[in-house]
Amino acid sequence: MSTDIISTDALTTDVITTNTLTTDARAASLRPFGKPSLLWWVTVVALALVIGAGIAAWVVQLKSGMGVAGYNDHAFWAIYIADVVTFIGVSYGGAVVSAILRLTGATWRAPLTRLAEGTAVVTVLIGAALIVPHIGNPVRLYELVTHPNLSAPVFWDFVAVMTYTFASIVFFALPLVPDMAVLHQGHEQSLGKRRTTLYAKVSRGWTGAPKQRAVLAGALGLVSIMIIPLAVSVHSVLAWAFASTDRPWWHESIWAPQFVVAALYSGVALVILVLAGFRRGYHLQGLITPRHFIRLGFILATFAATYIYLTFADLLPGSYVGEPGTASVFTDLMVGRLALWFWMFAVVGGLIPLLLVALPWTRNVTGMVIAATLVLPMMWLKRFLLVVGPATYDTVTRTFGTYHFTWVPIAITLAAAAAVPLLLMLLFRVVPLLSIDEIEEIAQMQEIGKMEKSLTARPHSESGEPTQPVDHHGAPVGTTTGTSHRVAGATGVLLLVALMGMLGIGTAHPASAAIPHVASVSSSVRTSTGAPTITIKGVEAGGKVQLTATLTGANGKPQADAPVVFSFNTTQFGAPARPVPLGSVTTDKAGVAKLILGADANHLYQPTTKGPQEFGATFTPTTADAKPITASVTVNITVARSAYTPAPPKPLAGLGNGLVIALFAIVAAIWLTLIAQIWRVRRVRLAAVQEPATSTT
Amino acid sequence: MERQDAMQDRTTHPEEGLASPPPAVTLKERQALSRRLLLGTLGVTAAGGALTMVSYQDDAQAATTSRGVSAAPAATGAEHAWCMVIDLRLCDGCKACTTSCQTRHQLRPEQTWIKVTEMKDAAGGTFNMPRPCMMCEDPPCMYICPVGANIRTDEGLVLVDTDACIGSRACMAACPYEARYFNWTDPLPQKRMPTADSPQMPVPQKGTVGKCVFCADRLPHGELPACVSGCPMGVLYIGDLVTDTAVNGQGTAVVLSDFLRANDAVRYKEELGTNPRVYYILGHGQSLGGGA
Repeated sequence: MSTDIISTDALTTDVITTNTLTTDARAASLRPFGKPSLLWWVTVVALALVIGAGIAAWVVQLKSGMGVAGYNDHAFWAIYIADVVTFIGVSYGGAVVSAILRLTGATWRAPLTRLAEGTAVVTVLIGAALIVPHIGNPVRLYELVTHPNLSAPVFWDFVAVMTYTFASIVFFALPLVPDMAVLHQGHEQSLGKRRTTLYAKVSRGWTGAPKQRAVLAGALGLVSIMIIPLAVSVHSVLAWAFASTDRPWWHESIWAPQFVVAALYSGVALVILVLAGFRRGYHLQGLITPRHFIRLGFILATFAATYIYLTFADLLPGSYVGEPGTASVFTDLMVGRLALWFWMFAVVGGLIPLLLVALPWTRNVTGMVIAATLVLPMMWLKRFLLVVGPATYDTVTRTFGTYHFTWVPIAITLAAAAAVPLLLMLLFRVVPLLSIDEIEEIAQMQEIGKMEKSLTARPHSESGEPTQPVDHHGAPVGTTTGTSHRVAGATGVLLLVALMGMLGIGTAHPASAAIPHVASVSSSVRTSTGAPTITIKGVEAGGKVQLTATLTGANGKPQADAPVVFSFNTTQFGAPARPVPLGSVTTDKAGVAKLILGADANHLYQPTTKGPQEFGATFTPTTADAKPITASVTVNITVARSAYTPAPPKPLAGLGNGLVIALFAIVAAIWLTLIAQIWRVRRVRLAAVQEPATSTT
Repeated sequence: MERQDAMQDRTTHPEEGLASPPPAVTLKERQALSRRLLLGTLGVTAAGGALTMVSYQDDAQAATTSRGVSAAPAATGAEHAWCMVIDLRLCDGCKACTTSCQTRHQLRPEQTWIKVTEMKDAAGGTFNMPRPCMMCEDPPCMYICPVGANIRTDEGLVLVDTDACIGSRACMAACPYEARYFNWTDPLPQKRMPTADSPQMPVPQKGTVGKCVFCADRLPHGELPACVSGCPMGVLYIGDLVTDTAVNGQGTAVVLSDFLRANDAVRYKEELGTNPRVYYILGHGQSLGGGA
């Protein structure tokens, strides 16, 4: 890389003539198809060994349980979910470089798009695969399809990741058609047998006719528009898997946008690294210039600044208010256990990359590569901190548990990291490394642009760069812009509403009352001789049970001013029947104590089941050795009411079903639109085969 | 099988709502078919599929309700609404409840389905607080489980189907009461369990989550949960909101509503809207509010 800095002027190297570009692009794309160098083999074997170690670690974890990965009940989520977020996050880099630059007509993207899109596909697949070690019971993952819970963010995570993966594969695959046609027609000898067969199949019928180009451009424009809200949805739903729980720092509204920006930030960094690696390995210096790195560096700096801002905005309000949970987690993060790591992230992962781009003397390929190299592990660290901080915080005891790294998750994480270059190296043994067609097309246009400029005698400048003449923003694209934004907006709103609780609890009052009438009366008396006696009568009148106890003293006269405890007997908690005290009533002069159930605020109990119900009256004499005396009566209850009133449903609970229908409709529409794009391109390609004049061999 | 009966039916089939194939069109029709029309058709198809699925889910839910188990408790007038009352004035922190529970459910020592925590009170002293599962009426764990492995019986018991649990631990994140415990390693060797494996009496399984079940297998037989019968202080009451009664392990029975009212019972983290079914009776200066 040092040679680049010495030998090339960053500001002039993107002026390359059309012929050089075209030849270079084709030759460069064919370069990986030759006999692999020793270095290639060494790299592949080394990476494969790292992945093998990761798989071995995963097998160990499967056998012994997740405990070997350092997990415990006080650290239930940790490194794997941070890995998932990181890897799915970096996948957004492909989308930003390719889709956003395509939509904004930035022509300089041409040599980068294929590598960026390939990175997007590879990383999202690795990220999705990392869910497997994260799950305690991976063999049951099929349940996400066979019986999902539609109110669960994790289920919608799965839907969003699958949809985004499909979209990124379509976005990667569609532009392969013209490139494979170019290589198949002119460079068969360099392709080899298998690639020739593949390329022939994929590009069959592609002539590059204006109609074909228009259809492909339209399809790509549409997918470009779709992939941006899709990526936003993926990172948002990932964030909501955290934010829809009641944990300090997770339960934050800023999380979804913060995840999106984090994904963009780390994604651009990975694109820079991948570009640097392939540029060096396959000698693409003529195509991927320092200028590209610097432009990507500016994008990186934009996201660095945004992410630093969001981090500050995330932490300030919670720190300011000082709620116990949030304050504990933030203290732990900023001045406690995790402080070293957090500030390392802030400086090494935020400030230094920003400075490397901002300072003119580090704004070169080396500087950008260093910045990207710092950003990627630091963004992983940030994800790890934001997972492990709240996950280890016990919201009941308000103490922190600990997560201990073991070799198992480290091996798996390294394997995932090694899989990125390995899969990319293997991928570009099969498909062209560069989007040849796009490069050639843009180069032609630049040639024209330059001629026009020389006519007006204006010096070539960056601002004068011609825009891409092929219209990616035609009418069909324009109409879908609104749709896509509505899709994104609706998805966001609907998912938020889902968190309010999809499955509300219905209101109903069990055990409705019957028509009140006088019930049967039966009475039984139990007395002890030579002691006070007690009798009880029970009657159900007008829907209310009235209990009357009469207390007779040892002298045979009614006993006044004595407390009589009424009770009912229940066998609900086992035999023998337990007396449940209903309250105490003092006898009057006639020795009578009366209790009407549910009549006053102190005696609210009313019978809850119909049928015979035993009631009792107990008097405990005040003399020392006297035993309590009890009389009981069975009343046939005809009017019962349940004492239980269910909680009212949540205010937005009723929206659940409509939300699910809308979401599924949106997801289905996205999938079908994507399939339709493949179908369109295929149709226009094969239509040419049927016309003999334009047929190709 | 008993297990089948006790389980909530699996009610959702997303494939019905996803990716229905594009409508078949002939070559002539294809030429006439604009993209917008195509998209419109596809959208309607998709919405139709999703609608079918959701209404199917409702039907299935209604069907399970009539069989006695559903996610909408008490809507049909359940016979019981189990709850617990914990009288903190009496708790001396002996942890007999935890031990009884762990013995009965054959749990590892760190799996404290009922956990006694020493909490600070407002005066700077401490009090002991047993924490079982709160059996929320709006259980965050149930809503967040990606595969519906958390179920709620119509008697209000939130249970885990360990044969469906994929081990995502989303419920552990969602539970505001930290009431869930994961089987991070192989469970302890199982002695004879009192009943067959069921959500009511789960046998610990590696890679799945477990939690307090209120000894759901005992309640229908009028038996007390292990912690309630094991508490020597009579701190823990098992109760029924429908029949308005509660008893503790020391033979005390109370009219539930009167007891709660007379003692100013509160629910833990009431402000979260989970509507827990565990009531605490506080002594002096204790505080159970205050979010996370």
